[in-house]
Amino acid sequence: MEFFLEISLNSVGFLVGIIIGAISYIGFKNTGSPTLFRLSIAFFAIGIGFGILAGGFILDDVIFETGDINTGISMLGIASQVVGYWFIAFSHTIKSFFPKSRYFRSIAVLPLFLVSFGYVETILRAVSFILLVYGAIETMIAYAQGRKKTTLFVAIGLGLLGFGEFIGWYSFVFPETILYVASIVMKIGGLISVGIPVSKIPLRKVTFDENL
Amino acid sequence: MAGNRTQIKIVGEILDTTMQEIDEHEGATVTHIIKNANISHGRLSRILSNLVSQGLLEQVNSKRSCRYKISQSGREFLSAYKTFREFSDDFGLNI
Repeated sequence: MEFFLEISLNSVGFLVGIIIGAISYIGFKNTGSPTLFRLSIAFFAIGIGFGILAGGFILDDVIFETGDINTGISMLGIASQVVGYWFIAFSHTIKSFFPKSRYFRSIAVLPLFLVSFGYVETILRAVSFILLVYGAIETMIAYAQGRKKTTLFVAIGLGLLGFGEFIGWYSFVFPETILYVASIVMKIGGLISVGIPVSKIPLRKVTFDENL
Repeated sequence: MAGNRTQIKIVGEILDTTMQEIDEHEGATVTHIIKNANISHGRLSRILSNLVSQGLLEQVNSKRSCRYKISQSGREFLSAYKTFREFSDDFGLNI
């Protein structure tokens, strides 16, 4: 059951990430916009990250049969997602998130290492969570300024991805509870919500770059 | 608070201005573009020559003044620009 949920989640993540990444890249090729270039790197990295995790679960289910995903594959997938979330946050100019004081900057990062106990995977997940929350807040601010419904969907999607990650930590503490399934469902809902702007692209009307 | 406009946003506004004028006149004048796109003459001259060399704008020389009208590839670029501006807006980002 756990493997089925993980493979479903990561497959949806792979599809959504690659589709948004491809559309952003087409946008970059057509307009030369650096924002769209960063967005394409972000979503390609997120999609590839989910794809690596899906592949890892499928490999273990079919070949290794150890009952858990290989740690190396898992870390690679999560690291790729972190790169993607970082690029989304970077596009919103991450400087404004952290306090200007050097002292506050240093202690703002401290809780991350206190709660992680040095596990790289946990650190990466914590970074993902922070970047997702930051991205969700910035997108929500953009929604408040522009009042575009699709921006709200993206903000909710990023928020759900972050909240799903947060709930996922609790499922480690309370295994065999509904928390794990809730975490996966939230993340899938978040990915679908983030993918909503794609439905607005009138693909037939856009003239694609001939060299693409 | 509104930030600085990106180069692509200025180009989009210039092309949009030349598109708006096309029904009434054969292209938009430099003065009209300066007024609509809110850009200095010096900067506009550089961008206009760049857009003409790339085939996005066509220079029309009339008796009174030099006008610029949007080309077919300029229209296609403007259409793509508007589509992807909406797309990046959806992510709370400026193109």
